[in-house]
Amino acid sequence: MKMSKSIIYTALLCAFSLALSTPAPAAEVEQVFNFYCAQCHGLEGKGDGPNVSKTFPVDPRNFTKAKEMEKLSDADMKNVIMDGGPSASKSPMMPPWSKTISEADADALVKYLRKLCNCKGKGS
Amino acid sequence: MKRLTSALLGSALLMLAASPVHAGEKIFTAKKCNACHYTQGPAREKSIADQLAKKGPELWYAGSKFQQKWLQAWLQDPKPIRSLKYNSLTVNNPGNHPKLAAADAKSVTDFLMTLTSKSVKSGFIKPKKNPKGRLIFVKKMPCSGCHAFPGKKKFKGGRSGPSLVGAGKRLNPDWIFAYLKDTKEFKPVRSMPVFKGLLSEKNMKKVAQYVASFK
Ligand code: HEC
Ligand code: HEC
Ligand code: HEC
Repeated sequence: MKMSKSIIYTALLCAFSLALSTPAPAAEVEQVFNFYCAQCHGLEGKGDGPNVSKTFPVDPRNFTKAKEMEKLSDADMKNVIMDGGPSASKSPMMPPWSKTISEADADALVKYLRKLCNCKGKGS
Repeated sequence: MKRLTSALLGSALLMLAASPVHAGEKIFTAKKCNACHYTQGPAREKSIADQLAKKGPELWYAGSKFQQKWLQAWLQDPKPIRSLKYNSLTVNNPGNHPKLAAADAKSVTDFLMTLTSKSVKSGFIKPKKNPKGRLIFVKKMPCSGCHAFPGKKKFKGGRSGPSLVGAGKRLNPDWIFAYLKDTKEFKPVRSMPVFKGLLSEKNMKKVAQYVASFK
């Protein structure tokens, strides 16, 4: 009895550490999105984060609207994420993230947004 | 026997002299404030997960960040600073921060004010309502999108960042500037964008002066 219990514990421990050490990129980009972007774009990307009150100057993009998102190429998106709204003649309420997140994070975010809109970008 | 007692007393005194614990630090520990706040720098957060695991803001540079008078009063009557619960985007700040009695608040404030950062140059930023700072805060940069700010405008600001209403009484103006300029020193991981390289030091100074003027 004692023996089998310790075997179970060891097995559990192994499973646990395996789960910890396996990289999970999908979950990671979600965490990046939730941490930096959801404040304004909302946890589901619908443009309804906690910053967005009735008096908020411009609606943050709703990433689930394929019709609007199709108009942007992947490069357009990455550009606006890194350099902010004004770099694409959009509102400065969309912050520049180039000094905060990595290139790899930005690329992963573009893919994540494509998943949210379930759409393809202009020219792809 | 007498010898033994004095030897014991002597060594006890020596130990005290070697590691003087601030009276306020003893209260800080006894009240379990350290369950949610760490007080020893440098910054420990290396990943988003590290930041999310924290139960309260770090206090290791509290003496550079806060104004003494505000701190002592707040510890006795801690009104919410962040509109949302710490590290949450969906739950409101429950406003249940532990309170301290006046004497304890004084000791703990004295202790927290000893925790400073060398990156904060003092006497450099003077609070000033300046048009350039205002332009940056409400128009050119998204500051107002995440921070509540005072004024007569219909738009009172966002709520994912700490409220900056009353920042002139709460924050050390020099720290506001250092926080924009040496972000990584204070907050290597935070959901506010890094502005170093995007705002010139001159403009950081202007916006720090402006925020420091908030009533
Ligand atoms: C302070 C609020 C805020 C935060 C935080 C924020 N955004 Fe935005 N974002 C906006 C606003 C507002 C717009 C709409 C700008 C406009 O239409 O003029 C926008 C627009 C966008 C657009 C569409 C741009 C276009 O050309 O139509 C993308 C893509 C985008 N954001 C991605 C992100 C990503 C990714 C993050 C996180 C790294 C993020 N945003 C964080 C406010 C924010
Ligand atoms: C259960 C966790 C918890 C405990 C225990 C706790 N705090 Fe806090 N503390 C917080 C949170 C969360 C905030 C942010 C509150 C807000 O924004 O309104 C905070 C804010 C603060 C601040 C302001 C920091 C800032 O950056 O805005 C100080 C100073 C502080 N606490 C001191 C103390 C002291 C002293 C004690 C012990 C008497 C204590 N705290 C106990 C969670 C805690
Ligand atoms: C995308 C949202 C966002 C934007 C944009 C933003 N901030 Fe912040 N800000 C935050 C958050 C979140 C914190 C708290 C970070 C932490 O302690 O983890 C913060 C913290 C601060 C603090 C320290 C407050 C305190 O009590 O700890 C100051 C001062 C500040 N911001 C000023 C600014 C200025 C000036 C700008 C524009 C140049 C700006 N912020 C833009 C989200 C934002």
